Amino acid sequence: MSEEKSYALEIEDLNVEYHVDREVVHALNGISFRLAKGETIGLVGETGAGKTTTGLSILRLIPSPPGVVKGTVKVRGEDISTLSEKQMEAIRGNVVSMIFQDPMTSLNPTKTVEYQIAEVIRLHEKCGKKEAAAKAGDMLEMVGIPRDRGREFPHQFSGGMKQRVVIAMALACSPEILIADEPTTALDVTIQAQVLDMIRELKRKYKMSMIMITHDLGIVAEICDTVAIVYAGRIVEYGTLEDIFNHTAHPYTAGLFGSLPNMEDRTQRLKPIPGLMPDPTNLPEGCAFSPRCPNASEKCRTQCPALTRVEGEHFVACHLFKEE
Amino acid sequence: MADVLLEVKHVKKYFHTPKGLLHAVDDVSFSIERGKTLGVVGESGCGKSTTGRVVLRLLEPTEGSILMEGQNIAGLSESQMRSKRREMQMIFQDPLASLDPRKTVGQIIEEPLRIHNIISGTKERQNRVLELMETVGLARRYYSTYPHELDGGRRQRIGIARALSMNPKFIVCDEPVSALDVSIQAQILNLLEDLQKQMGLTYMFITHDLSVVHHFSDNIAVMYLGRIIEMAPSDELFAHPTHPYTQALLSAIPVPSLENRRERIILKGEITSPINLPKACRFASRCLYATERCFGEEPELTEIAPGHQVACFRQDKADAKTV
Repeated sequence: MSEEKSYALEIEDLNVEYHVDREVVHALNGISFRLAKGETIGLVGETGAGKTTTGLSILRLIPSPPGVVKGTVKVRGEDISTLSEKQMEAIRGNVVSMIFQDPMTSLNPTKTVEYQIAEVIRLHEKCGKKEAAAKAGDMLEMVGIPRDRGREFPHQFSGGMKQRVVIAMALACSPEILIADEPTTALDVTIQAQVLDMIRELKRKYKMSMIMITHDLGIVAEICDTVAIVYAGRIVEYGTLEDIFNHTAHPYTAGLFGSLPNMEDRTQRLKPIPGLMPDPTNLPEGCAFSPRCPNASEKCRTQCPALTRVEGEHFVACHLFKEE
Repeated sequence: MADVLLEVKHVKKYFHTPKGLLHAVDDVSFSIERGKTLGVVGESGCGKSTTGRVVLRLLEPTEGSILMEGQNIAGLSESQMRSKRREMQMIFQDPLASLDPRKTVGQIIEEPLRIHNIISGTKERQNRVLELMETVGLARRYYSTYPHELDGGRRQRIGIARALSMNPKFIVCDEPVSALDVSIQAQILNLLEDLQKQMGLTYMFITHDLSVVHHFSDNIAVMYLGRIIEMAPSDELFAHPTHPYTQALLSAIPVPSLENRRERIILKGEITSPINLPKACRFASRCLYATERCFGEEPELTEIAPGHQVACFRQDKADAKTV
């Protein structure tokens, strides 16, 4: 990947294991990517692929035990694994923020919305209660909620508005990196459109770098600059939007597109990927996708393919591709 | 004449709440031809699931009639309804919540056969269960496993097998694939399609996912605050969405392609409360084209093209433009 760019985030060979009972869950198996300043990367994959684990590792929020984290995560060039818990607290919410899928579980039902946003500001910036409350009001307005509604409690807001509140909270200290974990999955489609529109606007205004965790390729097409397709804790394909959508290289990526209904021709039959994602406690030898892959060879079943360059910034981890 | 299996006429379902009467379903009429699929779409709270439940009389309609092959089931007694339900089954969104965690897969699928006394011999019943499992693509080895041991896709297959055990004519599918990953979602949709072809099933397919509904349905009804605001054949609806809400809804789908990007219509505000509704168009407060008339009068569904009905005053003007 080109060297002149400056990176907000660099992840190298990230491995996360959970030691539960007598089993080891291999959640992440060597994830590496870099996020350039002001860019948005989409982490795409199905349930259990390791998308959220990646997000949590960046904030060092993986509970340990049972979690074991290996590899390096650099935020603004600084390796966070060497930081103390105190230093880490200064990063969370201030430099790197995360939005979760379900807004209700990330809000405190007993505190007003304004209080909860102001709390973040007071933790990270030296300012009084009044000043923090005023800034919380500004944040609410920024996400399109009248500031006088700040006195209300989360249950008085609808789902879309709660997600806006969570976004306001995440952005209160103008973080450089925003990790959005399925931020619109729990929302209705017209509300999703509103929230996505707002995220895009805020990203442009504050030149934030963003990690968009999603299973929805439609959202990726609208928001992201680069895409990493994650399968069984590994990146199997990485590239620009153009690379992934128009020059799909990995059979899993192709399978994801084939599973989606064709909007042009509704009679066209869906082409699902047969089988299931492998059990993370018992990953197959070789390529993790090989049991579901229509073209898997003997080599695929024994050797795990490494990410190799297709062209420019487009990488794929597939033996079949090399052979072509 | 079209062979209509189910006809729903002026069905209403109101709930009493401390704040007033909640109009969950408010005067909904539609019909489904035998062997076809009606997709019902709308956002949370629009009344699509309530409509599905009322059609099966899992909820009693406040008003209106539900004609299954010409017979009004809204007037049937409890015991008459029980035998009628064999013909009318349901597949639920969250298979884990709708499957008994203490029963094995075999027991779950067998239960309706036993309760409805369809097959009396134990051995015969077991054979029928295994046959059903094969139909929905569940391997025999899962006969004695429990639902929690299986993944979402297989659990949904159990739900489908259970619904099929009654040899139904009509199935209400309430968000059957919403909880599943895309690759599994496609497996289940293909299965439902195959079953429809093999057994001549009629579906009412309730979902919030517009690209799925387009793929899966012959006709689509769009609901907003308890009413059908537009209804048309699938391709017609996607080619000529006419109600401003349908237009906004379709434009809001994130398209997984870098070409054919559409202009977004971003709606202001959110769905309002279905309690104590004013006599006005329910969409008026969010509508880009609302006029004074929309706030004082409620539009009725009117046909604008063969099979295409819209409840909007503006459509008169739209017609005038195209002529």
